Order: sequence, then structure tokens, then C-alpha cells
Amino acid sequence: MKLFALIKKEFHRFFHDRRLIITMLLPGIVIFLLYTVIGEAIHTEPPKYDYKVYVEGESSVTSMIQSAVEASGNTVEWIPLGDMEAARKEVEEGEATAILSFTEDFDLFGENSAVSVVYDPMDEAGSGFYSLSLAVLQQVGMKFSIHSEPLASDESIGREVMQQILPFIIVCFVFSACMSVTLESVAGEKERGTLATILVTSAKRSHIALGKIVPLACISMLGALSSFLGVVLSMPKLMGLSVGMLGGYRFGAYVLIFLLILSFVPLIVSLISTISTAARSVKEASAYTSVLMIFVMIFSLVTAFVPAIGNWVVAIPILNAVVSMQGLLAGALPVWQSLVSVGMNLVYTAGLMFLMTRMLSSEKVMFGK
Amino acid sequence: MSELEEIVRAEGLKKTFTLSRKQQKIEKTGEKSRIAVNGLSFSAYRGEIYGLLGPNGAGKTTTLRMLSTLIRPDAGDATVNGFSVVKQPEKVRDSIGFMTSELKLEGFFTPDYLFDFFGAMHGVGKDALAQRKRELFSRFGIDRFAQVQVKNLSTGMLQKVSLVISIVHDPAVVIFDEPTNGLDVLTAKVVTDFLLELKEMGKSILLSTHIFSLVEKLCDRVGVIIDGKMAREGTLAEVANGDLEKSFFEIYHEIKGEFV
Ligand SMILES: Nc1ncnc2c1ncn2[C@@H]1O[C@H](COP(=O)(O)OP(=O)(O)OP(=O)(O)O)[C@@H](O)[C@H]1O
Ligand SMILES: [Mg+2]
Repeated sequence: MKLFALIKKEFHRFFHDRRLIITMLLPGIVIFLLYTVIGEAIHTEPPKYDYKVYVEGESSVTSMIQSAVEASGNTVEWIPLGDMEAARKEVEEGEATAILSFTEDFDLFGENSAVSVVYDPMDEAGSGFYSLSLAVLQQVGMKFSIHSEPLASDESIGREVMQQILPFIIVCFVFSACMSVTLESVAGEKERGTLATILVTSAKRSHIALGKIVPLACISMLGALSSFLGVVLSMPKLMGLSVGMLGGYRFGAYVLIFLLILSFVPLIVSLISTISTAARSVKEASAYTSVLMIFVMIFSLVTAFVPAIGNWVVAIPILNAVVSMQGLLAGALPVWQSLVSVGMNLVYTAGLMFLMTRMLSSEKVMFGK
Repeated sequence: MSELEEIVRAEGLKKTFTLSRKQQKIEKTGEKSRIAVNGLSFSAYRGEIYGLLGPNGAGKTTTLRMLSTLIRPDAGDATVNGFSVVKQPEKVRDSIGFMTSELKLEGFFTPDYLFDFFGAMHGVGKDALAQRKRELFSRFGIDRFAQVQVKNLSTGMLQKVSLVISIVHDPAVVIFDEPTNGLDVLTAKVVTDFLLELKEMGKSILLSTHIFSLVEKLCDRVGVIIDGKMAREGTLAEVANGDLEKSFFEIYHEIKGEFV
């Protein structure tokens, strides 16, 4: 009952203050607008491409595709296919744009005729060429079948950016969302003497700690989500990539990423809450928290460029989530690593909650001079 | 007087603080620790107002914090409304209303909300809480301001709200550290009137102050506390012996061997 009242109060405080809601959601909106505008500015001129396409077999379709390509302001170079494996590799690495293979005696009206397109959907040129040629093929196609074969490559630029920078960006935004509400709510209340008023009541100290961490984590989650959406939705525009790139990840990866965020938001909130409880003033608390944030940022950026980190990383809070997210975005599905990271983060959160409870009960911390 | 029932009983309360280096510098002292309260014993009785009178640094705040279970005594114990501050701190907290100028209400909320919130914090039932709110709000003229954010209230009204909220759970004992410190005359009167009203309602009150006139105006019983020790205790008439101020300085001289 008391815990419920404490949690309710925190939510009431937040949701009845338009200013707080706006400050929480604004970063996401600003990021979205800013990145989109920057993206538009960079990519207003559609980039010119010189497609390099391997062809197998003969067909008049190639010349139709060529005119379509040239009409869109790009050029295409046709190369007779030699070694299929080598060509695929080139497409994967972004050296070549696509492989177009026609069945023998390709006939526009032949039922047994087929064309297959191998391309890399994560590559701008590849996906551009693919949609163009698909349009041409569908227009002229009467009977023949079309096989598209998107390559799952992990070398494309878009994915690399997503994979390495996104976890870092997510951590930064989550951290600042947690920071803005938690410092104000915990260190602020301590400094203003309103926390002491609650300590005078018979409410359990553990409930007071939980009554802060639970609602603040939910609220921070909202802010983190807003920033996250801002980044994710504007990223394609910024990078000049197609939105379809986002669909390149498996559903399971999204679930795991969500779980990881879900596990480190309470962790960061309880970390900042504990620091805030220990600090004498908001100023002091925000100084400590900023140092902490810089550390977290550096670590999560560094891990992006360390090729292989041992499994021990799951034991390190926050970092474990960053590394797992990098793995997920790289197209791998490190289920166990992710789940263990989530579990570890929850364990650390529980530990911090315990520590905060101890601090709330400590007269030195709460009433010391 | 009819038979007296002890409502607060302190026995040999002792509290020593270790001084931080910063504090040593501020107070220009080399000592590493300070005995703030040194074996303090006294009794306050039901329905009375008991005043702890003492100069700055005498240990008044420390004593009241031990009684309200915010800090633990190093030695000794006290019972409040029959509960031990050492062994049953939560029971004690539900038996007292503790007021000091350091305890603040969040300016964002309304008196109405805070009353319900602190009622819940003390585990008061919904119906009892609603009735008590009606009663207290109308008795102290808070009704009209019940939905005004606390930060927008006048100082006097804010003081009333704080007082009313500190007794939301109908505590047997009200403990008040320096009730009129830093308040203007009007607000100070709000507070003293409130305390007299509480006494009228049958509450027992324990307050600390260094203001003689406040003791003379309110207290039935006085404990003079100097250097963390009880220097003299008794009814106001006994301690004052005609002139409280003169009497206090005599006691002070006796203990410290110096004139002020
Ligand atoms: N948390 C603390 N840490 C260190 N020393 C303390 C602490 N609290 C009080 N003291 C010291 O203990 C002594 C008694 O302090 P206390 O606040 O109880 O006195 P007081 O009678 O309330 O005085 P005042 O009239 O100034 O409020 C003082 O010397 C004070 O500096
Ligand atoms: Mg004091």
C-alpha cells in the first residue's frame, strides 16, 4: 500500500507536469527533425551511380534495363559472368552491384524462362539497381519468372554504422533520459528536504528506494524510447539509405534489443539514484553522474572497434548490453549472451537497490553534516 | 494535578559524532569527535507541553532526532508512547508527528494530495483519512487552499499545511524542533496557536527552543539542556523560579563556571 502510494506519487509528479513530459520527449523529436533535415540536405541530389553488373546469358532485357538506368541519370557496365562465386563475393563486398542471370534461350514469352537477380539490399547502389531492373522486368515480363536473391551481407556501410554506432547512441540517450529525471527526483528531493519528510514516516526504506526506482525507470524508458525512435527513424534518411534496411533484421533481434534496453534502464536509474542519495546536493550528484556517463560512453564506443571481446563481457553491466546489441545489429543472434546480460543487469539493479536502501537508513548519509 | 502518565521517557541517551575534516576547520577545533548528547534522561507527560531549552549546540536537535528515530543513540534508549526508539522505530514513527524547518513539502503538490499521500505513508485507512482531512482542513482554514499547489501558498498557510500534515495519522506525541525559528511574527503565531490547539485536543508535545518567551508562553514543563546534559528539569514554575531568563543564566554559570 505504501509502496503503491510512493510509486503513484512519482508518476503523478511527472505526468501532471507538462514541462517534464516535454523535456523527456523532446530529445527524440529534435533528433528526428534534425537528422531528417540534415539527411535531406545531404541527399537532395540523388547520387550518380556507375553500376557494375555481371550478366549470365543473353537477352534484350539488358538493353531495356540500360535505358532505364540511363534515364535515371546513372550508368551501367555489363560484364560477362565468369566465376559465380567470385562475383557473389564482389557483390557482398560492394565491389559489384548485382548479378543478373538469364536461363539459356531466354524468351520474354517463354514459360520456362527465368531471370535471377543477386544483389545486396543493404547497399545503396545494389538496392537501387534492383528496384529499377525489377520494374523493367515486370513491365515486359509476360510468362518468365523472376528470382530475386538478396544477399545477407554484413559488410555494407549502413549496417556497419547501425551496428557500431547505434548501441553507443542508444546508451547515450538512455543515460541522459535517466539522468534528467533521476537527478531531479532523488538528489533534488534530498536537497530540498522533501525526502527527509518521507523518512519521518513509517514507510520502509526499501519501499522508498523502490518507490523511486520503479517509476523513474518507467519514465526514463519513455524518454529513451523517444530518442531511440528518433534515431532509428531518421537514420535511413541521414545515411541516404532505404527504410527497408531496418527490415533487414530478424524479429528476434528486435525483441532482444528491446529486452536489453529494458534491463539497463533500471540499472542506470538505480545507479544514478544511489549516487544521488549519497550526494549532498544536486550539483554534487550531477558532477559524479557526468563522470560516470563519460566512462560509459567511452567504453561503449571502444567496444565498437574491438573486434572480439571474450564472454566475460556479460559480467560487466551496461557494457554487456552494448556488446550484445552490436552483435544483434551485426546480424548475429547471440541469444544466450543477450539473455545472460539482461539477467546480470537485473542482478546489479537489485544490488544497487539494496545499497540505496542501506543509504536511506544511514543517518550519516541522510542527516550527516 | 491528577496522576501523570509518562508518554516520552529518555534514559541515558548518548550520541557522539565524528567530525569531518571540513567541520573541524569550520569550527576551528582539532577534536575528532563531539559528544552532542551525553547521557540525557527526562520524562514528558501525556497532555503536556514539554520544552527542551538550551543554547546553540546544546544537543537539542540531536535529542529530538533520536526520539523520532532518524538517528540511533550510541547508548541509552527512550520510549515514546510505550515503544522503544531503538527496538521499535517504525512503531515510534507512527506514534509521533515530527516537525522541523528542515522537513519540507514538495511545492508541486496540493495540500489535498499531500495529506492523502502522507496518510498512506502512515498506513491510515481511506475512510478515516477522508474524515480527518475534512476535520483538520476546516479547523485550520485550509479548505479553500486544498487544491492550490503548495509552492503558491503564503508562508503562513504553508506552515499550517505542514503542521496539519505532520499530524495526519493522529499521533499521540508531537515533536517539534525550534517551532518558531526563522518565522515572522504572524507565522510564529500560527504555530504557537496550533500547538495550543493540539494541547487542547489532548496531544502531548515535546519541543526544543532557545527562546525564553516561547517556553513561558507554551510549556508546562521544562528541561534545561547544556552541553548535552540535563542541567535542570521541572515544571515551568519550578525551573523559572520567578524569572526564567535569570534562572537560566544562573544554571548556565553553575555548569560552565563562566558568565555570558
Ligand atoms: N551530523 C552531525 N555530524 C557532526 N556533528 C554534529 C552533527 N549533528 C550535530 N552535531 C554537533 O553536535 C552538537 C549538538 O548539535 P545540535 O544540533 O543537537 O544542537 P542544538 O541544540 O540543536 O543547537 P542549535 O540551537 O544550533 O540548533 C553541535 O556541536 C553540532 O555541531
Ligand atoms: Mg537545533
